[in-house]
Amino acid sequence: MNDIELIDQVLKGNMNAFTFLVNRYQKLVVHIVGRLIQRQDVLEDVCQDVFLKVYQHLGKYRHESKLSTWIAAIAYNTGINYVRKLGNEREMEPDDASVLQNLADFKGDSYEREDLHRYVREQIELLPVHYRTVLTLFHLEEFSYQEIEQITGMPEGTVKSYLFRAKALLKEQLKRIVDANSLKEVKEIVHEN
Amino acid sequence: MKTEKLDQLIADSLCEEPAFSLPADFAQKIVSAVARRQQWKADLREYFFLTAVVALLVTAVAGFYYWMDPELVLLVWRFISGNMIQVVSVVFVLNFIFLADRVLLRLLFNRWSKI
Repeated sequence: MNDIELIDQVLKGNMNAFTFLVNRYQKLVVHIVGRLIQRQDVLEDVCQDVFLKVYQHLGKYRHESKLSTWIAAIAYNTGINYVRKLGNEREMEPDDASVLQNLADFKGDSYEREDLHRYVREQIELLPVHYRTVLTLFHLEEFSYQEIEQITGMPEGTVKSYLFRAKALLKEQLKRIVDANSLKEVKEIVHEN
Repeated sequence: MKTEKLDQLIADSLCEEPAFSLPADFAQKIVSAVARRQQWKADLREYFFLTAVVALLVTAVAGFYYWMDPELVLLVWRFISGNMIQVVSVVFVLNFIFLADRVLLRLLFNRWSKI
């Protein structure tokens, strides 16, 4: 069933179609809301709120964008309002210098690929909210710049800039720990000799 | 480690799903929540409709009696205006019982059944 048929069925009151719609888009919503609010304990309530809004406003959907973009916009707005309500305003204005300080140190002794992989995933969660959001929308959900603009309301240039800066920060941090570990290994070899 | 390898590592990590998850019956819960909301709206609509019908009926009966025997209606009106507080209180209590029966108790039971 394509999105147009699905919407038509939901608007006719077919609750099975709505269940199908929720199942189809719940991953998208959970990724966006999860990355925004970062709290498993309230995640279900916020996601429920998103789908209730989807159901309530589905009649106003005008097919000007993909349904996934429209639902993602609702998820983004609901999530960002929740973050604002919590008073995390500081997170809204990313300052790369302080972000770099906030990124955690690497706890491992070696830099096996799997350890680094896990480390990068942890660092993504420590990035400011806008960085996390654009990274999720672009890399994980594969939305285009224009679609991210529609979802978040950020200009395309800002989206590109956030993407670039977020990746640069991750790379910078990764370089730092890889270099530090290389140095540590060299020191250990020197001490052994 | 080479820069390209770092880039690849970051790219791979970015494409990985975050560790957040929803319960398996999430969709079913949403559908139940939607049904509860619709029920609450329908109950409220029904309450207002029935209240309007009762008010119309009282007005119609009063009109009919006024046409048949205006003195009787004026007598009733004098009684009402003479005991305004008591009459308004009784109407308010009756209306609240009706609201509780049609809307509030149903809403409460729905909440309880959700818990």
